[in-house]
Amino acid sequence: MSPSVAAVLGLVAMALISILAGLFARRYSRTTSDFMVAARAVPPRINAAAISGEYLSAASFLGVAGLVMQFGYDVLWYPVGYAAGYLLLLLFVAGPLRRFGAYTIPDFAEGRFDSPRFRRLAVVLVLVIGFFYALPQMKAAGLTVETASGLPYWVGVVAVAVVVVTAVTGGGMRGITLVQSLQFAAKIFAISLPAFLLLLHFGGPGTPFATARGQLVRLPASTTYRVTRGELWQLPRATSLDVEGEALVLWSREDPVRAPGAVTAEVGDTPAPSSPVRGSRHLLLFGQQRIPAGTLVWGGNATVLLPNGQPAPFGSATPAATNNSWSAPFGPLAGGSGHPLLFTYSLILAIVLGTIGLPHILVRFYTNPDARAARRTALLVLVLLGAFYIWPPVFGALGRALDPSLYGNNLTDAVVLVLPSLLGGWLGQLLLAVVAAGAFAAFTSTLSGLLVSLAGALGHDVYGRWLRPAASPHRRRVAFQLAAVGAGGVAAALGLMVSQFDISVLVGWAFAIAASSFFPLLVLGIWWPRLTTRAAALGVALGGGTATLAIVTTMVATLSPQVEDFLARSSGLAVILAQPAIVTVPLAFTTMVLGSLLRPGPPAGVAAKLVQLHAPELLGLRSDYIPE
Amino acid sequence: MRPEGRLTPPPPSSSGLREFSEQTEVGGIFLQALMRRQLRLSLGVAAVFFAFLAAQPLLSTLWKPWTRWDVAGVPVTWVVLGVLSYPLLVWLGRHYVRRAEEVDEEFTDLLR
Repeated sequence: MSPSVAAVLGLVAMALISILAGLFARRYSRTTSDFMVAARAVPPRINAAAISGEYLSAASFLGVAGLVMQFGYDVLWYPVGYAAGYLLLLLFVAGPLRRFGAYTIPDFAEGRFDSPRFRRLAVVLVLVIGFFYALPQMKAAGLTVETASGLPYWVGVVAVAVVVVTAVTGGGMRGITLVQSLQFAAKIFAISLPAFLLLLHFGGPGTPFATARGQLVRLPASTTYRVTRGELWQLPRATSLDVEGEALVLWSREDPVRAPGAVTAEVGDTPAPSSPVRGSRHLLLFGQQRIPAGTLVWGGNATVLLPNGQPAPFGSATPAATNNSWSAPFGPLAGGSGHPLLFTYSLILAIVLGTIGLPHILVRFYTNPDARAARRTALLVLVLLGAFYIWPPVFGALGRALDPSLYGNNLTDAVVLVLPSLLGGWLGQLLLAVVAAGAFAAFTSTLSGLLVSLAGALGHDVYGRWLRPAASPHRRRVAFQLAAVGAGGVAAALGLMVSQFDISVLVGWAFAIAASSFFPLLVLGIWWPRLTTRAAALGVALGGGTATLAIVTTMVATLSPQVEDFLARSSGLAVILAQPAIVTVPLAFTTMVLGSLLRPGPPAGVAAKLVQLHAPELLGLRSDYIPE
Repeated sequence: MRPEGRLTPPPPSSSGLREFSEQTEVGGIFLQALMRRQLRLSLGVAAVFFAFLAAQPLLSTLWKPWTRWDVAGVPVTWVVLGVLSYPLLVWLGRHYVRRAEEVDEEFTDLLR
């Protein structure tokens, strides 16, 4: 990836706008109420833009396009599921939660069940989900800066952490609301305009589907690859390539299309005497050569030129699917699991339900004046999300046709950042700057929302309730700001360690934990009077705990060969550990329902709570949680 | 920022409202009726969208031909899921907000 001045300018401009808007809002952010809930006076239109700005994270801006490029049709469930999650939020949570006057999920847990212990459990989970969700944003920051400017990965992570911490400590919730609504405008502009112009220039939305069906992707131009030792290539057909100097490879005949993932061999510094894969052999490549279809692992760093019209090689991250299976339902993503229909349904559930439990999204509803405004805000968010989510798949589909070299480089996550420069000239550079700025807006706005949640949990709960319950509002505010700095630092440190995970996979994990803990708590807590404190707490702990455990096991497996070996031998277990929602969500639900039925005894005063959740404000019974 | 001191209703102005805010048995029945109506509305709207989502993989399994149809060069499956989902979501959301506000208003009129 060549560094681009335009992209760097775009990144810097967005960073400056975010910081300045945050500092500008500081002048209007005087009271604690301003700081924590933007004085509850944000009009639905601004609030909806801020929510959408916060919700459209790096996974939406970069990840979805990358996944569509890799897996095709099956990935469309992601954007639709993210948006549908919002519908459920509107239907079951938005109005009652605003009426209840709970600022955070821990507030809801304590207020609904009168249990400070439950609150602590909820705080712990907010921290777990918040940090998990911060990781992919950090990864996206590093990747964007790396791709666009050529600077190292850590520069992006650190720069974003600094910008976000400044905005959050400076302006609090009011400042962030302003910044995030600006960032939403930047994002929708940055995704739709380049996608539209690309479609116009390259022959309309049919372009990616126009290539003969059943055919493999071919390189539209001659392409130079820089490969590193251990890198894996899948060659779907016999391929001509030109190696600069010479390179040792381990080649095997396994057909990557018919047996995806069959080859997991590695090449050491010296060729192993007995090859680990049947039918594989070592080849010394030099100059122009034609390699038969199969899989090869590079034994050293090399520069390789592929003439145009050659079948594009696929890296380890993407199955070498035909165009036909890529564009049809149950392609490489769902079809690879062996139970495509079941896989698709479980994917839909995990994505849709996870949205409801994300702590930083729920905080937002409390910035509405009342439940009526909360509902209208959620509806507007649906409109804005729909307008956005049409575009990322366009990038993904165009990427397959226009720049398939990203497959071999395992750079599909960067497709949104790469395509605009194909337009060439000053327009290409300008659009590249716009897209880079949009990506920057994507991860900073989500990160700042998360940071408000994390700092709120640490400053408001851990400090203001457990450590110093008697602290003055000013001290609390300082604690909030210190917590924001601390949480930003920890998130950045963790972000430096996750560069090898897929953005969308990381996001999926945060969703799975949220779906298995807070989602059942909110839905049952709002709509089911018989839910007992004990059962609710047990369900949250069990669902959230098992989901976290499953995901940590999967992460450890990626880092430790022994655990990975064990999981490879029991594939069913590996699938569940990697995508635990299908088991842990029902587990949490059944725990709550059965626990409440077996040992009935809902908390005293549940009727009053239900009145507060459901009585229309027109009756005038409401009072607020955080005083003016 | 303390949970105590919440729920301080103003003096109720009508008997229905008093029953409701003081959570008497009669008030409980009112509340149950309200919650049931709202929940039924929410579940109904959610069911429509889940049916729309769930029908697509099922159709692709049972009746393959539709996966080969095109509109302007784009497969119909992509258009239905990747484009039409969003207007449907907005339409359902708008329907819900209108109905939910109506239910709230009817309930308020009933108590006043």
